Amino acid sequence: MNESVQSMLEFARGPLFRFAFALMVLGLVRLVALTLYGAVRTYLQAGDKRLLWPVIWQRTLWVLFPFSRVHRTRPVYTAVSIVFHIGLIVTPIFLFAHVHLLGQATGITWFVVPPLAADVLTIVTIIAAVALFSARISSPLSRELSRAQDYLWPWLLIVPFASGFLGAHPSWCPISYQIMMLVHVLSADLIFMMIPFSKIGHCVLIPFSQLVSDLGWRFPATAGKDVAKALGKESVPI
Amino acid sequence: MKPLVDSEILVKAKQNLRPETVRKDQRLDVRYHIEHPLTKDRPRRFLHAFAAILRNNPSYGLALEHYIRVQVKCGRCSVECMLYQATHDPRDVPCYRSSLLLDIYRRYFTLGGRVWGELTGRHDLTDEKLQELAGAVWDCTACRKCSLECPSGIDHGLVTHLSRYILSEIDIAPRALVVSTREQLEGKTGNTSAFPWPAVNDGLEFLEEEMLEEKGVRIQFPLDVEGARFVFFPAVSDFMMEAETLMGNAAVMAATGESWTIGTKYHDGINYGLFYSDRMWDRIVGKVDAETRRLHGKEIMIGECGHASRSAKSGIPMFCGGKQSLPVTNCMEYAYEAWRTGKLRLLHGSIKERVTYHDPCNIARTKWITEQPRELLKHICEDYVEMTPNREENICCGGGGGTVSIDELRAYRTGVSGKAKAEQIRATGAKLCVAPCANCKKQLKELMEDQNVDCEIVGLHDLLYKAIDYSQLEKSQSIQADGVEREPQCLAGVSEAAAK
Repeated sequence: MNESVQSMLEFARGPLFRFAFALMVLGLVRLVALTLYGAVRTYLQAGDKRLLWPVIWQRTLWVLFPFSRVHRTRPVYTAVSIVFHIGLIVTPIFLFAHVHLLGQATGITWFVVPPLAADVLTIVTIIAAVALFSARISSPLSRELSRAQDYLWPWLLIVPFASGFLGAHPSWCPISYQIMMLVHVLSADLIFMMIPFSKIGHCVLIPFSQLVSDLGWRFPATAGKDVAKALGKESVPI
Repeated sequence: MKPLVDSEILVKAKQNLRPETVRKDQRLDVRYHIEHPLTKDRPRRFLHAFAAILRNNPSYGLALEHYIRVQVKCGRCSVECMLYQATHDPRDVPCYRSSLLLDIYRRYFTLGGRVWGELTGRHDLTDEKLQELAGAVWDCTACRKCSLECPSGIDHGLVTHLSRYILSEIDIAPRALVVSTREQLEGKTGNTSAFPWPAVNDGLEFLEEEMLEEKGVRIQFPLDVEGARFVFFPAVSDFMMEAETLMGNAAVMAATGESWTIGTKYHDGINYGLFYSDRMWDRIVGKVDAETRRLHGKEIMIGECGHASRSAKSGIPMFCGGKQSLPVTNCMEYAYEAWRTGKLRLLHGSIKERVTYHDPCNIARTKWITEQPRELLKHICEDYVEMTPNREENICCGGGGGTVSIDELRAYRTGVSGKAKAEQIRATGAKLCVAPCANCKKQLKELMEDQNVDCEIVGLHDLLYKAIDYSQLEKSQSIQADGVEREPQCLAGVSEAAAK
């Protein structure tokens, strides 16, 4: 039993991890490349190429660093959401165990957060995810908006956090360390593979949103006439 | 938090106001008339038009593709939407409204959507879905306030704009806008209000006399002057309905001694194309451009109108020559520059009543014109107060996006979508609200009436007309006329104010 779990774990954090991670990176690169290609294509055809750069920059910075705007609308929800995002990004990237593994494999290491801070971040992230899910399911407005993936993602993201936390604290772990690690790595692999094909693609696309929205209003000079032609309405009275 | 509007009022405002026969004829349960009720095959025709637009305009494809990828459905936009604040109906959340079109895009124009759709047969476009879209995008005023709070950066105003455009190609567009645009582009009068030129001309002559009588100075509306710096295009309704604004425009131009003119062949700044069809947007700015070039004007000046200003400011360079296109200026920008550089003299504190300022969405949302009118108002008003929120975060008047021209929507506009604005103005205690936009003015006047707010709606130039130091104008006109400087002969009232 132990051996088969061990071999599955080796597979999950070996070939499967490499595949999942590569799929995520390539998938995200594809998203960015497609967006940039579309943006350049739109720009080149635009009748007016003078973009509203100050507005684009300011709003992009607002979205990426929303701290100054927390108090504005739905402050509690916004604060929880910000904490959730910080936890999601900081915890896995700056966790000692992860950096250590990366160092062993590639020789590259970087700054790590202290173990206690990592524990706190993990728990806070899990609580924030549950809170966001509760907010979504308890509000009629959010229920009307939500798709299956909107309900699924918070739980999916909780799994590697919870299993990682329990794995790091074996005395609290109800099942064997190896099985817990298997759950941890498999869930992370699954998440990596799903990121580029789901709404989590926003992690790399958001910086381009304001640019895209401005370009969305930059039509080619002949757009109107071309549409009329395509629909056979050139000489049709209004 | 409770919705701003009681459910009883909401039901009443949402009731269909048309005779039942019209609705049957349209086969469409929306609260505005459409003209050509071609009911056959609507979904297929919609998709055909959608495809044609996407093929010929990469901007939309770029935006929609991006939006379906980043849409996280958090609902933050609901807090910014005055419609949702009024109704608390989830279907009034901007994100929900945009999803109506984004879902169609995903189903028919993405590979995954097509495969999934074919396999499951779900999410097919139906008449019911088109009806929901057609209702939703004309309840929305496309004010774009929600885009400020969307963490994904989705411009719901753009999605509404595109939805309306596609719908208009299958003849689902408010009759009020289509008829006006037809008159402007193909009618005899060549303007949206169908004012015949002789009537406009008589009106201008009358206003010249009025100004002479009131201010004791001769101020003219120069017609068809070739080579003037500015060719002026107000919202055509100003010629008949907003005489004070127009007199203010003429007075500012005269006081600064700048050359300007109004074209007799075309003089309407209104552009409903911005509200429902890029094809019309293109054709209308084409007329503005052609008239300016006919008169060898150097710049296009747009009057006090938010959508007219935006449609020209972005439409002229977009459709009429890019970098080589004629510059577009809004009259408030001009007035502010003239005042700042000392060309325009305004009497400090000459407006005694409490005044507040409403930012028209189309000129404020991108911070194009927010400070200029404020600086002028702070100078000429004794008691100027801000409403909150303001500037680029202003609340829409409730009649934006062309909805103000749709009379069938009045109960909805003043009872529901304008409710937040009414309370905002009421809270300032202002007696005068400056709304430098023909659409906002009409909506706010109706709103003040229907919501019983004691506040008069005026244009910025209405107040500038009162605040201009006419002694300066008399002087400059005298110099212009015969090169000899004369003593200013102005009205006693104005001199007294100047002395103060």
